[in-house]
Amino acid sequence: MSAATPRPRVAALALAVGLVLADSSVVILALPDIYRDLDTSIAGVTWVLISFNLVMALAAVPAALLARRVGPARAAAVGLAIFAGAGLACGIADNLSTLILARCVQALGGAAAVTAALELLPASVGSERRATAIWATAGATGAALGPAVGGILTELVSWQSIFLIQVPVALAAAVPILAVAKHEAATGVLRTEVRRTGRPHLAANIALAMVSAAIAAALFLLVLLLIEGWRLTPIGAAVVVTVMPLAAILGSRLSPLVPSARARAAAGAILVSGGLGGLALLPKAEVALTLPPQILVGVGLALVLSALTETALGGRAPQAIHGGWTISARHAGVVIGLLALTPIFTADIAQQRDDAINAGTAVILDSKVNPLIKIDLAQKIEDRLEGETGKVPTLGPAFEPLPSDPGDRADVEQLRDELQEQLNRGATHAFSPSFGLAALLGLLALIPIGLSRRVEL
Amino acid sequence: MNPALRAQVLVGAAIVSALALAGIYLAAGGSSYAPEKSQDPCHHRAWSNPEGLQEIANQFSISALDGAACQLGVTRETLARALATPEARERFSERYGIDDAKLARAIRAGLVRAVDDAEEAGALSPLIAGPLRATVEEIPLDQAIELVQNARSILDSASSFLGPAGELLEEFLP
Repeated sequence: MSAATPRPRVAALALAVGLVLADSSVVILALPDIYRDLDTSIAGVTWVLISFNLVMALAAVPAALLARRVGPARAAAVGLAIFAGAGLACGIADNLSTLILARCVQALGGAAAVTAALELLPASVGSERRATAIWATAGATGAALGPAVGGILTELVSWQSIFLIQVPVALAAAVPILAVAKHEAATGVLRTEVRRTGRPHLAANIALAMVSAAIAAALFLLVLLLIEGWRLTPIGAAVVVTVMPLAAILGSRLSPLVPSARARAAAGAILVSGGLGGLALLPKAEVALTLPPQILVGVGLALVLSALTETALGGRAPQAIHGGWTISARHAGVVIGLLALTPIFTADIAQQRDDAINAGTAVILDSKVNPLIKIDLAQKIEDRLEGETGKVPTLGPAFEPLPSDPGDRADVEQLRDELQEQLNRGATHAFSPSFGLAALLGLLALIPIGLSRRVEL
Repeated sequence: MNPALRAQVLVGAAIVSALALAGIYLAAGGSSYAPEKSQDPCHHRAWSNPEGLQEIANQFSISALDGAACQLGVTRETLARALATPEARERFSERYGIDDAKLARAIRAGLVRAVDDAEEAGALSPLIAGPLRATVEEIPLDQAIELVQNARSILDSASSFLGPAGELLEEFLP
């Protein structure tokens, strides 16, 4: 593999891995916009996320096998080209079905690129262990940065730009890899014979799936809470959830201090669960209160993902196939997390919406404002509720214009604030059971982590 | 620090951090941060020393809504929103299977309960309460809804409902 110098090749491979794995979470902050633009439901829009992760989970191991058959560089280059083409299709999709289909194709290309990259990296960096570390770090960084980047692009440009911007990036990453592919073809070295050592590490992969389910829920639910519940803009939510990747950087610095992968995995799973538990118990609808839980989740995910990936790949070959199993486990976990929690969450938000509206109506009924103002408010609120079924409504405009009489104006402003408080309570409470269940999933990962001592670690 | 101890410290610190966060948020009311629950409309709601026509009107409306909601088996808040617009009323009728006749009966019953509550609270003289009760038991649905929404009108323009007794209204109101 002397067709390209190692440094750009390694950078291209890391970029490819980061780009593809960012895609599992990059649309999270765009979901509310997609939800509105394509006029769908919360359950429907979740499939923009689920479809990609589901196909990644199913395709990762076959893609790794294919990469070994046709040559990893060729597989990575073709995979990135497919990823870019499907990204373009996502960017111009004007309905949910097309978008979901394009996301599936994107995942197929992505699976080939990511698993092939793990096969190519050892030759480029000279060490299997270092290659694993670069691969795992690139993936974790991409997944952690994805939501923030997606949120910023959605706010500054549009949700479509998230996909369109991936096209040149994926093609740029493919160029140095293409040079290796040409070399592979010219020399006839399409596959590398390596020893096969062992079956997939079951305990580590199961734990990866469970922790990934919890982390996906943390990101997905937190973003929905911030945007749909507390009415933050996508860029505002992006800034808030940036705390998680920043904390992950801190967590990755802790990793080398503790050699025991099992201890890092256990501590990471506990921190992820603790953070999710904190999100389930938010005492008020305030952004600042989401920061300590996010710090725990961020530090925890860095510890647990790297420890479990390291365990799953350690001493095993071929790397691409075992890497494929970890990708498969992680994305299966994301799918399980989203599929299990979305129905609970959508049912809860419908219930809490009704409770919050009733509580807000009670505040208005019990207030001492002029009855004519109450009737007017009731009519406007009812009109807005009818236009915003199935979600937390925006009722602020129902209070406009404010009465000109200073006394009435103060009363109405107070009513508006009290109604908003009830809506905040409802939105926040609606997410609690789902965050709680996600925390439980993270804790359950301690079972395979604990068992892994006897199994193999 | 040896590697085994580092591992124990890391796991211990993780447990302490997770428990501390949960404990702090619980102590700050994390488990009870939810919308306030609606009260049972069949449960009597005491009038809180109303003073002036507007306050009496407010409490009258609430009592009427409670009474009607109790009859219909819904919350008073749901009923209040249902009565806000004709379209809302239509949606409410469809959702709960309540026709206009049933709604009218319930609202009239609610208005009677409001008169009872007002009388019991000393906000309405028995001399006015009797004829007012008889009046609200007969009024048409649209007028009954109007009265629930703005009870002041029943007190302001009681003369139109009460005939000769209406002139006594201002005199007998506290």
